[in-house]
Amino acid sequence: MKARPPVLAFVVVLVVVVATVPGQGRQGSPAPPRTARSAAPIDLTGYWVSVVTEDWRWRMLTPPKGDAQSVPINAEGKRVTEAWDLAKDNAAGLQCKAFGVGGIMRQPGRLHITWADDNTLKIEADAGTQTRLLNFDRAKHAPAEKTWQGFSVAQWVGPPRARGAGPAPTPFSPTVPGGGGSGLRGGPPPAAAISQGGSLEVTTTAFRDGYLRKNGVPYSQDATIVEYFDRLPPSPNGDVWLLVMTMVDDPKYLTQPFYTSTHFKLERDGSKWKPSACSTDAPAK
Amino acid sequence: MHSSECGWQTGRHAALRVCLLHFAFCIALAAPAAAQISLVGDWVGRYHEDNQDRIPGPDLGDYTGLPVNDAARRYADSWDPSRVSLLEHQCEPYVSPHIYRGPLQFRISEEHNPDTQELIALKQYLGTYQQWRTIWLDGRPHPPDYAPHTWMGFSTGEWHGDILTVTTTHIKAEFFRRSGIPSSDETTLVEHYVRHGNVLSHVMIATDPVYLTEPLIMTEEFVLMDRGNQNWLYNCEYATEIDRPKNDVPHFLDGTNPSLKEYAERYGIPLEAARGGAETTYPEYMDTLRRMLAGGTPGPPRTPVAQTLSGPRGEPDPSTGPRSSRAESRGDKARPTGEVHTFHVQGNVYLLAGAGANIAVQVGDDGVVVVDTGNSQATDKVLAAIRQLSAGGGDATARAVNKEIRWIINTEFDRDHTGGNEAISKAGRTVNGNPAAVVAHENAAARMAQAGVADNARPFNTYFEEQRDFPFNGEPIFIYHDAAAHTDAGSMVFFRRSDVIVAGDAFDTTRYPVIDAKNGGSVAGVIRTLNRILELAVPSKYLQEGGTYIIPGHGRICDEADVVEYRDMVQIVSDRIADMVKKGMTLAQVQAAQPTLDYDGRYGDAAAFIEAIYGEKKR
Repeated sequence: MKARPPVLAFVVVLVVVVATVPGQGRQGSPAPPRTARSAAPIDLTGYWVSVVTEDWRWRMLTPPKGDAQSVPINAEGKRVTEAWDLAKDNAAGLQCKAFGVGGIMRQPGRLHITWADDNTLKIEADAGTQTRLLNFDRAKHAPAEKTWQGFSVAQWVGPPRARGAGPAPTPFSPTVPGGGGSGLRGGPPPAAAISQGGSLEVTTTAFRDGYLRKNGVPYSQDATIVEYFDRLPPSPNGDVWLLVMTMVDDPKYLTQPFYTSTHFKLERDGSKWKPSACSTDAPAK
Repeated sequence: MHSSECGWQTGRHAALRVCLLHFAFCIALAAPAAAQISLVGDWVGRYHEDNQDRIPGPDLGDYTGLPVNDAARRYADSWDPSRVSLLEHQCEPYVSPHIYRGPLQFRISEEHNPDTQELIALKQYLGTYQQWRTIWLDGRPHPPDYAPHTWMGFSTGEWHGDILTVTTTHIKAEFFRRSGIPSSDETTLVEHYVRHGNVLSHVMIATDPVYLTEPLIMTEEFVLMDRGNQNWLYNCEYATEIDRPKNDVPHFLDGTNPSLKEYAERYGIPLEAARGGAETTYPEYMDTLRRMLAGGTPGPPRTPVAQTLSGPRGEPDPSTGPRSSRAESRGDKARPTGEVHTFHVQGNVYLLAGAGANIAVQVGDDGVVVVDTGNSQATDKVLAAIRQLSAGGGDATARAVNKEIRWIINTEFDRDHTGGNEAISKAGRTVNGNPAAVVAHENAAARMAQAGVADNARPFNTYFEEQRDFPFNGEPIFIYHDAAAHTDAGSMVFFRRSDVIVAGDAFDTTRYPVIDAKNGGSVAGVIRTLNRILELAVPSKYLQEGGTYIIPGHGRICDEADVVEYRDMVQIVSDRIADMVKKGMTLAQVQAAQPTLDYDGRYGDAAAFIEAIYGEKKR
């Protein structure tokens, strides 16, 4: 008999705890499945501008023919690179080869990211006027026809997020650095920070042959392209950055996976949005 | 206790056990994650972006993609790669905002509190240059602004989900790009470590008010090494590589760098575009490029290339403008007579900051030596700070018996160095019972007498030779005099065992050296003094860091590498002005040519500095 009060206490606690876990223990019909939009741990929507601080010569200009520096191309890739013919591409209607899924993030320009529906994130690029649809709905399958942007499957990845927590990350707000011994405290992560974060993982298939660089450094339609989208904690000056890490694994043209990370800065609005047709300038030299 | 005694074998309690397990399971599900993704491991770089910059090295004249200002361009235009062959430069590592841009592998490990197992820091060992970084996660503040700077700086981190964000300050001056694009010691670096599987994206956002108009963001990928490798050591031993005059500083005078156009011409890039700038990093600049390539004009004038490559330019860059408020607020200028802060330099020597000029205090069993006494308004606070030090942390008895202020040495005769002489001398006592002796070069005593300084505030233990030494607190103390540096009355003090030099005003990290020509100062003497510091100073390891510490007349604590940067600056500016004088330029023309443009954002108003050098070179 002495054990009974503790048993009752445990049961009461159990009921209380389970009932207070957000999103659980509701009476009646089960909660509808969460959409990708409602489950988003980070907010990727908005206008983002690429700030070209890396590979400037290869991105802002069309580099010389055959210049594949930094790209781990194999002999076949080198051969194809050196055979690039801009006029021939244009004549064949292949102006968008440098604006396909394997190269679009490296094109200087702006992205406009919105939710097309609750389970589809849309990325528009003004460079080449391209549109990508990132599908969270696993029931969808790639169409038979290959396109420049292919078919993208997306999922949120990263640390578990406390239910009910808001999607916005804790502002990164150090005081003015460098002196006086004040401010700039690091410290163990606060509970709120633990439950934040997360990335968007995107795997794309069903795309056409394209170019990693404007000057015809190729990737094949058989490549594997995986991307991670991370919204970085706000900078001390208020800048918000989007980091897109792209891995292109293409045994046909590359000796190893090709990694690039491209950064975009959040803009207040779309006033600088400037769609343009797929077009590649002739190399300056 | 036997298991049956606790009831676990009974049917009723078996049900309870299930409930408890369920309970624990529910708690585990509901609780937030307790830790972030691990970054531990050996990481090696992938160089699929900017390979030219990161592996073989950039071309001279390639400033593309960098939000630099005119000061950075001028610095890079005059930068001669031969400068790294100077002995003091040979083994200098890259700073933290730069080192990830070179060939690199690094190892991350964790440091835990042994009692709580709380993660308190991440350690990084970087194979290139054998550098160590500690990223503190325990909430400690960054050091004060008068603390030394290092190649890697001081870092604190915080987690945002699985992203580790690191803020680093106290970084030395070096480069953002090896083509001579400088980074200043005012740079702050914010990093984000983003791990996906075995790939680590490393984001660097550098803010440098001296050389950048916008934060510079760079990203690199590193891949986890399954098996590692052995290339973790970096041996650098400096040796004379080029026979050149002692203390020569290689650099290009305006218009003489033959390499600046090569990069642009090789790749068909408009020269204007190759010179970088924030606007060149945005997509809309492509239209400007097209216009320029088509033979049109780039648009509104920006960074007049012809002037940059051949001489003076027009409007000064507002971001590096004259004597910015940044320079005014740097170091002790921000608190001339505010709180006095004590900082242990090393050995027996401490810095007292905030009393005007820097004050050094040597404490030991023999008593206390005070080098300079600050402004008179701060004397009470200085004395309080000295008493705290001399009391051995509050042991008043020990102070009374052993630790009187015995000596005061004045490195200069200016009031911000000598204002506390009288009161601090009176507060001390020589072994024969007199007030503490005030030591200075005889010229200092004479200048103070001429200025009407009271007898009790003037040095009476004067010397006249170039060097004097005496033992105190178990270490040799050397006093060096240069006949004409900041003035003709300066002294530099070297505590040999503690390995600390107190430089006086020939070295001032808050501004250009003040050359008081009316009182016998000269730029030649300032350079001699700086070179003497370099001869005395020895870094603690091959890679040019620590070792001998130098307390400047004003500003933060430095080591040899910091003095080298300052010496180079003074020598380069002096050479430029000498060249202009040789060309027959007037002072007004020299001022208009901005011979200090690349340093003004760091050291402020150069007018007096230029005028002093000009006058000297004209003589």
